[in-house]
Amino acid sequence: MDILNEILDITIRSLWVSGSATIISSLWSILLAYKLSRSPGASRYIIPFFEALIGIPTVLIGLLLYMILSSRGPLGLFRLLYTPYAIILGQAILITPLITSICYRVLSSSWNTYGELAYTLGASEKQIMAIVLRESIPGVIAASVMGFSRAIGELGIALMVGGNIRGFTRVLTTAIALEVSKGEFEIAVVLGAILIVLVVAISFSLRILRRMYRV
Amino acid sequence: MSIRLKNIWFRYPGMDKWVLENISYEFKEKNIYVIVGPNGSGKTTLFKIASLIYKPLKGSVFTWDRDFWRLKDKEALILRRKIVYVHEKPVLLHGSVLCNIAYGLMIRGYSKEDAFRKARDYMNELGLTYLLDKNVNMLSAGEAQLVSLVRALILEPRMIFLDEPLAHIDIEKRKIVLDLIYRLKEGAGIAIATHDIYLAYMLADEAILVENGKIKIMEREDLFHNMMLRHKQLNTLV
Repeated sequence: MDILNEILDITIRSLWVSGSATIISSLWSILLAYKLSRSPGASRYIIPFFEALIGIPTVLIGLLLYMILSSRGPLGLFRLLYTPYAIILGQAILITPLITSICYRVLSSSWNTYGELAYTLGASEKQIMAIVLRESIPGVIAASVMGFSRAIGELGIALMVGGNIRGFTRVLTTAIALEVSKGEFEIAVVLGAILIVLVVAISFSLRILRRMYRV
Repeated sequence: MSIRLKNIWFRYPGMDKWVLENISYEFKEKNIYVIVGPNGSGKTTLFKIASLIYKPLKGSVFTWDRDFWRLKDKEALILRRKIVYVHEKPVLLHGSVLCNIAYGLMIRGYSKEDAFRKARDYMNELGLTYLLDKNVNMLSAGEAQLVSLVRALILEPRMIFLDEPLAHIDIEKRKIVLDLIYRLKEGAGIAIATHDIYLAYMLADEAILVENGKIKIMEREDLFHNMMLRHKQLNTLV
């Protein structure tokens, strides 16, 4: 029963940590992507740079964040290291290039169609932005789901800036790594299965939501 | 009261060839302009420049005697709201036909209730009430084009640019569109890009041929003969 409670606790923590990271990252990434979609040179220089960053190793972000958040680092005074907030920050940074570059494609295409329409019907800049974002909801959701899948499945950041502290910063991926190192393969497999089920279930529910939006 | 293009040059980013070369022309209110020319000749680009969507690389666009691309945002918005461009392929927002027709009114400050009421009255007048509650995904190509046209016309623009407005519309509904065009002409200028010889001949007060980035002003009869000649040449090839 204790193990079941702990697995439930880890699962819920994984969901809120990666969910929060996805929400935060989506907010700034969507705005950034919209700005970039309106900048003529973005597709030539900035977006290829973001696309190159999609594959950045998570341990590298973990290391950089560790240096920034450690007590001697520039943000050390906030005492974020080894807290769930450090993992949220790290995961949000990790998935920013992914969400931004996908949203950029979606919003550019949407601007050419719906932005131009709103413009010619007399919409102001704010009204154009509202309609372009509204018409891009399915694509933006898809980008966020991909970001969430990447965040919940990463290990390097959660381990380095979270510290895998039981009952506090332990998430599914760090728990799997720990159980494997202890030789507890059965628990590791159960945790792995939960991770896959979560990712697939969220992806399918959002797919259904997107379909409902289209009708 | 007009849109005046002065020495317009335009090409798309990354392309060497000019789409429009040194074009000067004036679209006036209460006139119907028919623009013809082969595919890719620059008709749509000309329309998008005249309807203030594209900024020319060289030259100026004067809207009611004011150099549009030098205006501040607020002034530009006021002028933009007098001009509408209707796409060749209808672009409809997700949702119902009613929401689409009311959209332009709402962005002009109408309350949702007033915009919906005006949209319902307008569609009722045209005998198109049956379309109102349909989702845009359920519309045929012709119905979508009709909705796109009505959405623009309800705004009572002073100048409207219609890109192939009757391309997908059946004979029965063409009458509705033509009646609307004639009604609109009483207070507005209308420019129509088309490949339809009879429509061009029937509507044109002034005809413009766009070819190889340049324009040629034609008499209505000359336009008709030019288009007939092209059709004959095409038929000979077939």
